[in-house]
Amino acid sequence: MLRVSGVSRSFGDVRALTDVSFDVAAGTMVALVGRSGSGKTTLLNVIGGLDRPDRGTVTIAGAEVTTLDEDGLSRLRRETVSYIFQTFGLIPVLSAAENVGAPLRLARVEPAERERRVATLLDLVGLTEHAQQRPGEMSGGQQQRVAIARALAGSPRLLIADEPTGQLDAETGRSVMALIRGVVESEGVTALVSTHDPVMMALADRVVRISDGRIVEC
Amino acid sequence: MLRLVLRRGRAQWPLLASLLAVVTVGTTLLGVCALLMSRTAGQAVSVAAARAPVTDLDATAYSSDIAAEDAPAVVADTRTLLTSAMQPFRSTLSARAASDMSDISGRSGKGYLAAVDGLPSRATLVDGAWPQGAGETLLLEPTATRLRLSPGDHVRVGDADLTVTGIATADAGTGWDRDLLEGAGYDPDYSDIDSLRHFPAYGPFLISLDDLLARHVGLTRLEITAQPDLTVSTQRDLDTVTDGVLAADRRYSGVLGDRAHFTRVASTLPHVLLTAKSQQRVTDGAVLAVAVIGIVLTGTALALAGRLTAGVRAAETDLLTALGTSRLQLLRTAAIEAVALALLAAALALPLSSLLHAALSHVAPLADAGLSNTPAVTKLQVLSVVLGALALTVVLLTPFSAQSRARVGIDLLLAVFAAAGWWQLRAVTGSADLLQVLAPALLLTAGATLSLRLIPPGLALADRLAQRSRALPVPLAMFEAARRPRATAAGLLLCLACAAATFGAAFDATWARSQRDQAALTVGTDIAVTTSALDRSGPSGSAVSEATGGVVSPVVNRGIPVGQWLGGSGAAPRLVAVDMTRASSLLRGRLDGGRTWSSVATGLIPARPATGIEIPADATITLTAATTVSIPAPIIVTPHLLLQDAAGRRTPCVAPPMALDGRSRPLTGCGGGSLIAISLPFTFDGYAETSAPFTVTMTVTGSADWSVTSAEPVPGQLTDPALTTAGGKLVMTGQIRLGGPPEAARTLVATTFADPGVLPVAVSTALADGLGVAPGSQLTIAVGTTTLPVRIAAVVPGVPSAPGAAALLADVDMLSRALAVRGDFATPVDGWWIGEPTRPDAAGRLAALHLGTVTTRAAETSRLAAGPLRAGLPAALHLLIPAAVLLLLAGVVLHVTYDLRTRRTETSRLRGMGLTRREIRTTLLAQHAVALLPLLAMGAAVGALATRLLTPLLVRSDTGAVPVPGVVPLWPWPTESTLLAFLLVAVAGLLATVVLLQTARSTAAPLRELS
Repeated sequence: MLRVSGVSRSFGDVRALTDVSFDVAAGTMVALVGRSGSGKTTLLNVIGGLDRPDRGTVTIAGAEVTTLDEDGLSRLRRETVSYIFQTFGLIPVLSAAENVGAPLRLARVEPAERERRVATLLDLVGLTEHAQQRPGEMSGGQQQRVAIARALAGSPRLLIADEPTGQLDAETGRSVMALIRGVVESEGVTALVSTHDPVMMALADRVVRISDGRIVEC
Repeated sequence: MLRLVLRRGRAQWPLLASLLAVVTVGTTLLGVCALLMSRTAGQAVSVAAARAPVTDLDATAYSSDIAAEDAPAVVADTRTLLTSAMQPFRSTLSARAASDMSDISGRSGKGYLAAVDGLPSRATLVDGAWPQGAGETLLLEPTATRLRLSPGDHVRVGDADLTVTGIATADAGTGWDRDLLEGAGYDPDYSDIDSLRHFPAYGPFLISLDDLLARHVGLTRLEITAQPDLTVSTQRDLDTVTDGVLAADRRYSGVLGDRAHFTRVASTLPHVLLTAKSQQRVTDGAVLAVAVIGIVLTGTALALAGRLTAGVRAAETDLLTALGTSRLQLLRTAAIEAVALALLAAALALPLSSLLHAALSHVAPLADAGLSNTPAVTKLQVLSVVLGALALTVVLLTPFSAQSRARVGIDLLLAVFAAAGWWQLRAVTGSADLLQVLAPALLLTAGATLSLRLIPPGLALADRLAQRSRALPVPLAMFEAARRPRATAAGLLLCLACAAATFGAAFDATWARSQRDQAALTVGTDIAVTTSALDRSGPSGSAVSEATGGVVSPVVNRGIPVGQWLGGSGAAPRLVAVDMTRASSLLRGRLDGGRTWSSVATGLIPARPATGIEIPADATITLTAATTVSIPAPIIVTPHLLLQDAAGRRTPCVAPPMALDGRSRPLTGCGGGSLIAISLPFTFDGYAETSAPFTVTMTVTGSADWSVTSAEPVPGQLTDPALTTAGGKLVMTGQIRLGGPPEAARTLVATTFADPGVLPVAVSTALADGLGVAPGSQLTIAVGTTTLPVRIAAVVPGVPSAPGAAALLADVDMLSRALAVRGDFATPVDGWWIGEPTRPDAAGRLAALHLGTVTTRAAETSRLAAGPLRAGLPAALHLLIPAAVLLLLAGVVLHVTYDLRTRRTETSRLRGMGLTRREIRTTLLAQHAVALLPLLAMGAAVGALATRLLTPLLVRSDTGAVPVPGVVPLWPWPTESTLLAFLLVAVAGLLATVVLLQTARSTAAPLRELS
């Protein structure tokens, strides 16, 4: 599903990634583990096409990400890859339902179909009763659930979650990870989740450990 | 603290630079306004003084009945007094003096010597040469004709032996009305006040003043005029000369003592200069109002900048507070920064405002008004800039949270204040300085703040519509625009700046139009010539027509009593009569209700023009008068003929009195026109209880439809009036009643037109209000000694040439007919009006005819709209518009830049969701466009409302009074459309630029930072 091959990325004199290579099979949940500053987010951004590597290639579902132009990357993020951010990444002025429906609007789904799909996804993450609430009116856990629902709305094949529990307390974090684990199993998506919480690693099918921009365990 | 301020200044220099720019723009505007009110204002009064007609600025000392032995000293003392009164200016003196009446050797009448300085500029030499030395004299043509004197002849007046060197005609408007014989050269029945005798008088015998004084003759009149040279002056100099001239009259009587019977120093100089200062104060008030708008705009821009600064520094402030920095310390830091900013802005604004003012003075309207300047600094400018900068930066010290709290309900409070101010302004008819200064800014601000309340409902509607859409970028923009907290300061700045700019443009247009309207109504026509008594024998209407190529009409324009009413406030009601059949070409001045002067004229003009019998210029008419009865005293008839020339001017021609003795008498000099009326006033110096039939024949060839009547006021004194034509003669018959009071009129009047009956007139609103009359009412007016009934056909806001006055407008033909049927052929003509002149320099050609004072609508418009005392306001308005536009655009850039910077992460997330940069740009552009562009429309609406409500109350005449005709608010669509289109394009362009720049920089970095 995902192949990262010899990826390197520097920011000035700082080498964020050095010759990173690994594969992820479809339908698996991989935990990307490392300390702060180890290069997790940079790697996820390169995989998601938000950043370009200095060297190396990233292939998602057979598509060479690093050679895609701006439109190709946008299409990739709409159709293949979804992000879940540590800070949830919800649009503050939209309700939970509208946030979940945003990717469906990008796909120009008919309003009726969109509402049906949003309702299903909110039900999946247990937030049906909070559909009209805005992010500021919800707890961190609820916001991250909305973010997960939104990430799933576009029916992605690869779910990239960057420290999805970083802003949550341990119990909420566990429930969110369990939810991600659940949707991987129920929706059949591949998930690449960065974390430095050992508890979260237990839920992953596989752990890729990164240190100082290098893969130390794969 | 200082170190913190310096470090922060280095780190946040772009932000501080934007604050500095905003304060600099505002204080520069303030500085220019201060220069307009100080340097330009002072210069304007000087230029106005320098440009004023010399006769408005001179001072003339009059004295009379000066003994021969005192004359030289009196002349010297008068010259000294006038010279000192005109200090510190140099002045040019000219004298006019006339001696007592003396016998003319070998003649039955008397004559007088006179000295007139600058004779060649006051008379036109027709024969001989100007007198050069002692004993040489110049005569006016009538004097020379009557005395049969020619150049080279000798004449003795009193003890003076004189040689005639030249003969001249007196030029109109050059002071001959103050001559003993008013420049007529001859008076067959001169009334000498001293001797109470009547005798024929001739003169003046013009000699030099030195010659006059050397001959030791008493002076009947002495006048010496001083003309100051005001080409270069300061305000202090003008104040000094004003005081000097005001005191001169009192000083003059003290200086001359009992050496003169009458003394007086007359001058309009103090009035002219004080009026100029008063007019400049009116302009200064308006300029100040513009400055206040600029200050409010700058304050609003600073409030926005302050809010953005607070936002940028929120984290820093929180950190400082957490580290234990007190609010007082924070305030002190902010104060240091604000004062530094204010001083820096002032340092920039001072030279900038000087340069801008100098540049502004080199373009219209200041350059046209002669107010060009080099860059300079004035005290008022320094004070305004420094205090303004300090006051403006206080806005930065106000925490945004406090602003937000204060905003709740402040718009309503402002609206209440604005409404109260507007109501108060409406109630004030004169100048209301403070209200007029504050009202525009108050109303614009209230309107802008209130209009912000209209934005949310509109955006909510856009939000609802967006929810039904399938797409994301534009609906997301609507959601963002509708649901984000309002950017109040930015919205207020945009709306207020747009309102100020559009109001400024409309105020400028309304003001200029009002000045044009005032000029048009003041002059009444395109070119007006006002003639004096001396001028009325000058060139005819055909000469006027030839000189101008326009539509020409004789005009009656004089004060008259209306019944027993002599008018209010010392001004008699005016009668203006012109050729109303050509009203659309002749009359100027705006009417109300879509009426035109042609429509007003419809009810005033005769059904058909008066036509008569053409009398050739060289025709000799034979008159014969006879009666069939024998009476003890002779009956005398003095035939009057009324002739009309091609231009419509009517001139009476009077035959010598003749007895009803059956003898034929030739009459010459009554040709060259069309005979339209004959008046036969009979006098009978006796009493008899009988009637005398009479027959008066006149050899006039031609036919006309004659109407015959016995004239008022006692028509019964002449009965059976009739006129028949037979064999190339007009035969007029009737019966004269010889009884009754001897002074009762016995007048037959024959006219080629029917009796017009009650004269239809249009009256001004002032007259209608003053007398409480309305259309259909009848009044009585007196023209000369003839009483006329008039009927009000229409009420107009103002009668041309009589703005704001109680006045009547009539057709000059109808007036002439009404007077003629009453036996009054002396149709008064006070001047000429010329409409639509086609000849280049028509006014100059007219002036060359020496008909009288020439006034043009164009010159009056120029004086009112672009004169030095008025040019400051349009200049300030021309400055306000770009300043408002500049602050508006600066506000847009500040607001959008800040907004996009604070939403960098959100932009990155949108990219993470799969939005392309183009879609993100669309979202951001649409969001800001939908939030900001309606504010331009709102601002324009507020500007239009302010124009509608305020301009009629703010536009004033040059004297500060309410203009006549009233002000009609003008919304100059081309200008406003261009301005709004520019703002629309500029705002859209800036939005696009900022969004493009920001989105181009958009990277995943924020995601990494947050992670």
